[in-house]
Amino acid sequence: MKNVIVYVEQKKGATRKVTFEMLTEARKIADALGGRAVAVVLGAGAAQVAEQVKNYPVDAVQVVEDPAVDTHLLDPIVQYLERAAKSVGPSLLLIPNTLSGRDLAGRLVARLSAGIAADVTEISAANGRVECVSPKLGGALVTHCVLRAGDYGIATIRPGAFAAVAGGSGAAIERQEAQSASYPLTIERDVEEGSGEMALEEAPVVIAGGRGMGGAEPFTNMLKPLADAFGGAVGASRAAADAGWVSYSLQIGQTGKTVSPPLYIAVGISGAIQHKVGMRASGTIVAINKDETAPIAEFADLTVVGDAFAIVPELTKLVTAAKQ
Amino acid sequence: MKIVVTVKLVPDPNGEKKIDPATKRLVRTGVETVINPYDEYALEAALQLKERIGGDSTVTVFCMSPDTLKESLRKALAMGADGAVMLSDSALEGSDVWASAHAMSLALKKIGFDILIVGGLTDDGSTGAVPGALAEFLGVPCLTNVRKIDIADGKVRVERETDGGYQEVTGALPMLVTTALTIGEPRYPSLKGIMGAKKKPIDMLSVAELGAADSVGSTGSKTELLSFAPPPTRGAGKIVKPEDPAAGAATILAFLQEKKLV
Repeated sequence: MKNVIVYVEQKKGATRKVTFEMLTEARKIADALGGRAVAVVLGAGAAQVAEQVKNYPVDAVQVVEDPAVDTHLLDPIVQYLERAAKSVGPSLLLIPNTLSGRDLAGRLVARLSAGIAADVTEISAANGRVECVSPKLGGALVTHCVLRAGDYGIATIRPGAFAAVAGGSGAAIERQEAQSASYPLTIERDVEEGSGEMALEEAPVVIAGGRGMGGAEPFTNMLKPLADAFGGAVGASRAAADAGWVSYSLQIGQTGKTVSPPLYIAVGISGAIQHKVGMRASGTIVAINKDETAPIAEFADLTVVGDAFAIVPELTKLVTAAKQ
Repeated sequence: MKIVVTVKLVPDPNGEKKIDPATKRLVRTGVETVINPYDEYALEAALQLKERIGGDSTVTVFCMSPDTLKESLRKALAMGADGAVMLSDSALEGSDVWASAHAMSLALKKIGFDILIVGGLTDDGSTGAVPGALAEFLGVPCLTNVRKIDIADGKVRVERETDGGYQEVTGALPMLVTTALTIGEPRYPSLKGIMGAKKKPIDMLSVAELGAADSVGSTGSKTELLSFAPPPTRGAGKIVKPEDPAAGAATILAFLQEKKLV
């Protein structure tokens, strides 16, 4: 492995923060390996995203505005990334550890006969050898793994694990022709149900509510304002999702999402192991709970014992004021 | 129609996970082994599909695992699968994603299928990359995170969950499908099912039969595991009992400002 290829996941001209984190990290790895860093942007809106991408320190941005990327499930992206990998030469591919990023990475493992490290939070490289650190089992264990020297390697990158720093002298944008091909899977309908809320896994601050919320209302009229004050997102424990107070898409824990924001505030959450495995890798954990013997107090950095319904609105006011 | 479901056997998710310091692998002995919970949803989807399609449809379970764990597969047969095939070989130990998916694909080619249903995740530290690699090695389309499957005349229409909603996607058999948890709660084995499972066949396959001896285990892998260890433990922090809510909020703000989080 010598070069680094960054897959820029985008939809209709919008991309996520993890893109810029990967672009920044790609430069460091490419320099350590003595190779080039190349970004690949695909589909409708790719040119628009490429304009943002070129402000980061990569050498080139490959753009293919092929509408097939948005009408056929994943296969066009697999083809284009394989083509990019073959044209760039031996390389490490950085792919975001998102729902579709994980699917894509698996496909490329076979296509490129590549080793893979998943959900990576640290990378070091030297002499064609790449070493990756990944938390496993919700952060209960940490693995150090080497992608053996070979033509290709793949790392799926955990959002929020690396810093994004713009820079570089403006990468060259290389527009490439769409290839004509037939693909096996057709997307007949693509329905957006989300309300445009920030993805939980990407939020810098997560305010999570549990059984102690007692209903759906506190999530919208108490936790949401606090999340907004921080510029973060609202999450929930399994108890709250099972009770139907919030959608399962907000559930954090063993059977839900794993998050590791710099700041996690648990409100009325006891902190049972099922929840803990989904958030223990967070930077700083603050708990607000009426029970000082709740398990969460055993691993939170700060536990404030008291009535969340009185404390949270006060905290929202203070944070809003402090941010002004 | 021949429906095949892959299942993985994992240490009981409700038990404590331990790592063998010598091999750096998850300890799989001395703890109860169960079918990966996510794979039970894949099996449920397969059984529902068989019930809907009827005719001479069959559900076969495929599992790559040490043969000492063979009996843990009986639950799948008790739930309603018609038979099982186990790829079992000490040479497979330490296989990474590439080597595992490659070996599994050779076995699955031998078994044959119209639709291959795979659980969405595994409970023992997965990468989520095996289904995609498997589909590539098998040369079939890969539809992930599926919550609803309709099949008619070899044409497949599914609903799959995405980050912010869902998609309707069409394709043709044969294909690989991975299931979302919304596909339906796995059924409990009936008493009749449990009794019947004892007589159902579990066929064994070895690496030699697949001709995969050079591409399995640690040496056949593209990655090398250096270490597998718990992170530094997170000690208890401060516990504060404020006089009133305002003091509680102020304590939190001061703490966050000190850490430069506000």
